[in-house]
Amino acid sequence: MATTTHDAHDDHDDHGLAHTASVRVLLATGGSLLFLTLVTVLATKVDFGANLNLAVAMLIAVIKATLVVLFFMHLKYDKIFHTVVFTSAILAAALFVGFTLMDSSQYQQTNIWNPDAPPAAPYGPRPIVGG
Amino acid sequence: MTVEQPHAAHGEEYGHGHGSPFIQHHYDDAKHQFDSGKLGIWIFLAQEVLFFSALFVAYILYRHHHPEIYSYAHKYLDVKMGAINTAVLIFSSLTAAWAVRCAQLNQKRGLILCLSLTIACACTFLVVKYFEYSHKVHEHILFGRYFDPCVSSGGNHLLTRNNECPGSKTTVEWDKEKAVATAGCFADIAIDQDPRMEGVQASCSVAEITGAWEEKVSADGKKTKTFVEKSRKAITTQCPEEHFGHEASGETGHAKASYPCWEVTAQPAVCRPGWFYSWTCSGPVCLEESGSGGPFASQSACQEARSADAAKLKTQGTIAMSECLPGGASGVLVNYNDHYERGESIRIEADCKAPPAATETGDSFAEREQQLQLGKKAIAPAHKLTTHEAHELEAAGPPPEHTNMFFTIYFAMTGLHGVHVLFGVFVFIWLLIRATKGHFTSDYFGPVDFAALYWHIVDLIWIFLFPLLYLIH
Amino acid sequence: MATSTAQHKPSSGPVFPDGPVNEPNYLRINDGKPLWERIKGWLFTLDHKRIGMMYLFGILGSLIVGGAFALLVRTELWAPGKTIVTQDTYNQFFTLHGAVMIFLVIIPGIPAALGNIMMPIQLGAPDVAFPKLNLASFYLWCSGAILLVIAIPFGGLDTGWTLYTPYSLESKTPVLIATSGVFLLGFSSIFTGINFLVTIHKFRPQGMGWFQMPLNIWAIYATAIMQVLATPVLGITVLLLAVERFAHIGIFDPTLGGDPVLFQHFFWFYSHPAVYIMIIPAMGVISELISTFSRKPLFGYRFVAYSSVSLALLSFLVWGHHMFVSGQSRLANMVFSALTFTVGIPSAIKVFNWVATLYKGDIRLKTPMLYALSFLLLFTIGGLTGLFLGILSVDVHLHDTYFVVAHFHYVMMGSTLVAFMGALHYWWPKFTGRMYPEQLGKICAAGVFFGFNLTFIPQFIMGSRGMPRRYWDYDPQYQIYHQLSTIGAFVLGISLLVTVIYLFASLKNGKIAPRNPWGGSSLEWQAPTPPPLYNFEKPPLIHELYNYDDLVEVSEDLWERRAPLDVEPSEVPGHAPEPAKPVAAHPAAAEAAPPPTEEPKPATAVEPPSKEPTETKDGDK
Repeated sequence: MATTTHDAHDDHDDHGLAHTASVRVLLATGGSLLFLTLVTVLATKVDFGANLNLAVAMLIAVIKATLVVLFFMHLKYDKIFHTVVFTSAILAAALFVGFTLMDSSQYQQTNIWNPDAPPAAPYGPRPIVGG
Repeated sequence: MTVEQPHAAHGEEYGHGHGSPFIQHHYDDAKHQFDSGKLGIWIFLAQEVLFFSALFVAYILYRHHHPEIYSYAHKYLDVKMGAINTAVLIFSSLTAAWAVRCAQLNQKRGLILCLSLTIACACTFLVVKYFEYSHKVHEHILFGRYFDPCVSSGGNHLLTRNNECPGSKTTVEWDKEKAVATAGCFADIAIDQDPRMEGVQASCSVAEITGAWEEKVSADGKKTKTFVEKSRKAITTQCPEEHFGHEASGETGHAKASYPCWEVTAQPAVCRPGWFYSWTCSGPVCLEESGSGGPFASQSACQEARSADAAKLKTQGTIAMSECLPGGASGVLVNYNDHYERGESIRIEADCKAPPAATETGDSFAEREQQLQLGKKAIAPAHKLTTHEAHELEAAGPPPEHTNMFFTIYFAMTGLHGVHVLFGVFVFIWLLIRATKGHFTSDYFGPVDFAALYWHIVDLIWIFLFPLLYLIH
Repeated sequence: MATSTAQHKPSSGPVFPDGPVNEPNYLRINDGKPLWERIKGWLFTLDHKRIGMMYLFGILGSLIVGGAFALLVRTELWAPGKTIVTQDTYNQFFTLHGAVMIFLVIIPGIPAALGNIMMPIQLGAPDVAFPKLNLASFYLWCSGAILLVIAIPFGGLDTGWTLYTPYSLESKTPVLIATSGVFLLGFSSIFTGINFLVTIHKFRPQGMGWFQMPLNIWAIYATAIMQVLATPVLGITVLLLAVERFAHIGIFDPTLGGDPVLFQHFFWFYSHPAVYIMIIPAMGVISELISTFSRKPLFGYRFVAYSSVSLALLSFLVWGHHMFVSGQSRLANMVFSALTFTVGIPSAIKVFNWVATLYKGDIRLKTPMLYALSFLLLFTIGGLTGLFLGILSVDVHLHDTYFVVAHFHYVMMGSTLVAFMGALHYWWPKFTGRMYPEQLGKICAAGVFFGFNLTFIPQFIMGSRGMPRRYWDYDPQYQIYHQLSTIGAFVLGISLLVTVIYLFASLKNGKIAPRNPWGGSSLEWQAPTPPPLYNFEKPPLIHELYNYDDLVEVSEDLWERRAPLDVEPSEVPGHAPEPAKPVAAHPAAAEAAPPPTEEPKPATAVEPPSKEPTETKDGDK
């Protein structure tokens, strides 16, 4: 009963209960992820400016996450509804972040860190130590 | 798709294409069960995303409003270890996805191999995490009120609130208003680079002077005691750990002091007036007469008395150390440039010199230190700092206010993530056991698939945590 | 059996084992076995009906505990100053009343108890998708309940059920124990939500598309979405609170650099959808009750269905309206206030549709219907007063007054609890096999309605005049309102207590219930009373939703289907039963004859066709 690997049309193998990932796709995805990890570490050596650094890092992270979700988690070959479920969770989280940030931005200063004038370094006194 | 009879015999053979015995009664068939399980796990993963979301909210909020804390504090994190963990988790994601493929294709050996590799990678992750955490615990780089780093983010030593850092035993009382220490003892000299302390000097020397007190009667009949020096020795040694705490009686048959012995330690280092010069001495005078109890019943009583004596200190005063000796304390309130008596035979003299002007040396770091030390809050470096130098400068100094919040968020996020990795290990071990029994076939591999999906979410979260926490710049 | 399974499309439609018609019902499965076997049959059951029953017992017990705390609160407030207890104890009373009622009664109430018992049957399924997960949810609920209750002798809880920082960080009461309980209760809710979502997606029988589902199930679906997306945030919030208390991590503590208002954002991100988790199942139930007891299809079915889901989604956008005076920025205040107005729209759509259903209906004033009508009035009041609170300028005055207390009691108790009672009485015959005493039911329903209004209308008045909530002492000018409120509370409490008592008594003494006492048209009324293990002795017939044309009231509390099982009710409005069409004797025949497109597919059951007409009547009993 053991079936051999269907290399020829693995990407569209729907004969079983679900799509079977091909070795090629798995290795390619794994390899890309490791490569992108290297890229993201090396990118820290280059300074694009405080905000762009974050943007670049997050962009790479999102690409990695997309690879994991599409290929390792089979979402590319799965029912659309599963994508809907996952995306709605991300949207709910984004909503949470967005509204809370909108609120707190109104009453807290946003410091854009200026490397030429680093803020003073007060080191607070020891807080009251209770029990 | 052959339909499994709901009450089919639970045969001894598993997975021979006639339908798995693990298909439950209320399902039509294997596909119904698999599809339901798949939808179920995706909904569970959605809730996992929301579970972590609050921590991401906290992260984003704090980073948005206090980027200086993040840019300072992230240097405490070891990028190498973080990168290793990332690579390990990605590899384990690969093996988990491959395990699903093996289960789907009835490749039992491949399945067992992949599951084992996944577990191994997960354990590697946890081990690396253990090393990271234990280092932080050791250096007191912790969350909330326990944030008390012994080193700055640049790796330099710091004299911090409690100074409960490796190699030092200290109790210091602080003036919270002025953020200065007012009384207490230090176990050893810390290289303090707290730039709020004025008049920081660049080098000190400590000498142990052996001599004796001699009484002289002056011409008008007044008796004065003066210390006559017999020999002098520069002190550079450090008090070894075993001198602290209880020890067995020595050859003299007397019990030694219950709290540290005296040993002079000094390092040519930064020291400052009105500050505590941390040192201890050891020697015969440390010994306590057995049962005598001495002038003070306990170290705390000694310290209380000593604090009371603090008022007596002037820049050129002395304090009798013998009052502190029996069962005595680890250090003594010292004003440098003072001479202190210690018992009647040892005296510690500290002499500190002003540092050369930093501009002479071209060392912008020292220059900044000196300027801050001299009370100048604004920093006017001799030359324009490059971004890198500025970062290094920032890293060397003491942490900005509320740096503990970075570590609160760091420990909360990585801790919660680590707990999920641990759960994953248990789940995969359970899967491995079932796989060795041959439960998983092309008809029934749901548990492997669903656990792998969980594992991928765990990996996904780490993919975001790594740059957000470790790669800030 | 093989033939009927071959008819099913593999990916949808449940399989019913070949149980004989005389199979014992789910309550009597282990009759005759030794006591330990019978106990194990309950403790380790995988049957959703038994799990739901256990939930029901737990929830009714928690209702009594929470109600006792409420009566203690109201007794203390009879007079200003100390009446029976000190301030600190009073703080504990209202906190525990809130925490027990919200986490143990109202949030799990309709979904976990009644949803578990009835939803799969109403769906036509043999069980929920994940029966073991269902049992795990129940034990999580029990553990959470035990932890919450254990906190009481260890010092109780006095932070208010909202656990606001920084007081909850400093309170000497065992907040850690209570929050651990809440954490477990949260996961119980999440797993129930996952279970119900998958069941509704995957276990609908052939013939029941999304828009042939009863509205109760739409409501449970919408609730499950919220349970899954919102409750994890509660989980992480109480986890952070517990860790903060235990390890002083500082995330909510301003002295360590944290932000106490952040706690409120985290807390309300869950707790606002939570109130919709409470009310939407109630609305689903009311749709069923109003339709059945007006003998009319529900007006605007699609609108009600869409409004359930849109309410679930909109509920995530308005949490800031609990924080208008907590230091939230003006911008956020305005945004949340505007969004709060929109969230009232789906609820209003439903109320209009229910009232339109009543119009020209053949109204039967049975106890469940009395509760449903109470719901209509009380929910309207509750919903409208919510709008008042959503207006920024008004909320500044009304926040933390008794107006808010009255508002949320109108929606949580006057609506959800009343709907729960209505649902309990509606389905009681189905899952216990006994009728409750109707006269007593009506009296208690009236008592609940009267007592409830007497309790909370004075609270609206004194709240608008400035009486703050959670206060132990107050100005004498409010005393008359407090006294009226307390009297009402006791009337309400007694009515509820008597209700619970007669319900339990009916288990022994009640009339034996027929299969369909109310003439309901949804699938659960086709199941035996009480149902057997897999709910149906033969697969139920899916036909037009909310169509009562063919149901005849044979006698009081006994309805029967006039049309044959395999014929659409609309085809035989007033005629005698016709011989059945030769349907589905052969799988090949069924597939060869495509069903008409307008109606849902005819019988998926396989019956010997020749005996159809005579067997129909017996089959319905």
